[in-house]
Amino acid sequence: MNSNLHLRCLALLVAFVMGMIGLPEAKAQDDLLKMLEEEQSKEPTYTIATFKASRLINGQTIETVSKNHLNFWISHRFGAVNSGFIANFFGLDEAKIRLGLEYGLTDNWLIGAGRSSLEKTYDLYTKYKVLRQSNRFPVTVTGLAGWGINTMETGYVMESRAEMRFNDNLERYSYWGQALIARKFNEKLSLQVMPTFLHYNKVEDPSIPNDLWALGFGGRYKLTKRFTLSGEYYHAFSDPDGYQASTGKAYPYHDAISIGVDIETGGHVFQLHFTNSRGMIEKHFIGQTVGSWEDGDIYYGFNIARTFSFDKGGKHKD
Amino acid sequence: MKSILTLSALLFFLHVGEAGAQTLYGTSSGEVSFFSDTPLETIEAVNKKSGAIINTTSQEIAVQMKITDFVFPNKLMQEHFNENYMESEKYPTASFKGKIKEQVDLSKAGTYPVTAEGSLSIHGVTKPVTVKGTIISSGNDLKLDFKFQVKPEEYKIEVPSLVITKIAELIDVSGKMTLVKK
Repeated sequence: MNSNLHLRCLALLVAFVMGMIGLPEAKAQDDLLKMLEEEQSKEPTYTIATFKASRLINGQTIETVSKNHLNFWISHRFGAVNSGFIANFFGLDEAKIRLGLEYGLTDNWLIGAGRSSLEKTYDLYTKYKVLRQSNRFPVTVTGLAGWGINTMETGYVMESRAEMRFNDNLERYSYWGQALIARKFNEKLSLQVMPTFLHYNKVEDPSIPNDLWALGFGGRYKLTKRFTLSGEYYHAFSDPDGYQASTGKAYPYHDAISIGVDIETGGHVFQLHFTNSRGMIEKHFIGQTVGSWEDGDIYYGFNIARTFSFDKGGKHKD
Repeated sequence: MKSILTLSALLFFLHVGEAGAQTLYGTSSGEVSFFSDTPLETIEAVNKKSGAIINTTSQEIAVQMKITDFVFPNKLMQEHFNENYMESEKYPTASFKGKIKEQVDLSKAGTYPVTAEGSLSIHGVTKPVTVKGTIISSGNDLKLDFKFQVKPEEYKIEVPSLVITKIAELIDVSGKMTLVKK
């Protein structure tokens, strides 16, 4: 009797152990997936679409164009919104225009060119994505280098009302370099900082240095899948007091501040914004923005980007 | 009572024996592609980094891939696919896990038409599915081929009205992978 109970207990124990062994067996399907998961987590997952486009508002983003893809940019900055209804239809009677092309040599490297009606300036630039944000690295870092040539007649009057004289073509050149560092915090919020260096071969007044450092901040917040808020601010480390002391006039340039929205419709990105700058290249909007928000020099503007794919098989439009 | 004990013990040992003999075949470079065809547009994308694993003893099969590994000829499309449709940041993977219904001995060379019953997870939604395919075994590796259709709507993948005519209601999914003995 006693031994019988003993045996029964043992049988129960064995059954229990069996059940324990059997339990993971039933979960083996999950284990297979877990094994796959482990295998796949060895490779980093890169963050995509930190920003909608390669431009935020006036300035650039860390985004480049995919290999063999071409971006066509059409940008307008209208007249000041406070320039009157009859006189200027709130600024819409006139516009500064920039047309630009960008081409992806690789998925991380693009070259671009553009022409601004402001100071009849041509620009060339290249952008390279050096580091990519992933589940192992916190930010994406892109480097930008650009060059511009001013093709106005010598002795023209600048937006700052200063007269600009060129003695040779070299004086028409300016250069800029920028490090773009961005982090996509979540699917809605992305922030970017842009330390920037500019060099003007010729400036209108000797009290304005040829070299200019600036620091930009920008970001976007996605409201819906296709509608995004964006903002951009560039602080130029200029010397307004030095200028005032030597010329007796107030420094004509201000920091560029812009806010806007991005609307994405398939193959197009529409960017609508308000900004105090009418320049659309670094040399203009970072160093030579004459408008100021306090004075109501606010310009309505837009950028339209259209992407074309030259990859084989990619001829279908989106 | 003794017989129960013996039976339990026997089952127990059988169990252990089975676990020890299980054979796994796997790959991390399987190809899974999908195809959407409408009069307006043909969209095709391929993922060449799909993982798959088959346990020939228990006849279990699992397939998993990262959504961001799908490559489109048009990169803008790829971005929209990840950002707007699949929301790959929220739902980074798609997977299938199931069991092969037929009793087949995959360790023997041959061609086996098979049916896998299990669950398919896409875009955070899991649905029971039955997938038909073929396994060609050489003994050392298994060549797996399968094809099935997916209705994006069933997996809560929203297609905006702007492009609804460009994306098919039924998407053809096919896979081709060679799993090697582990």
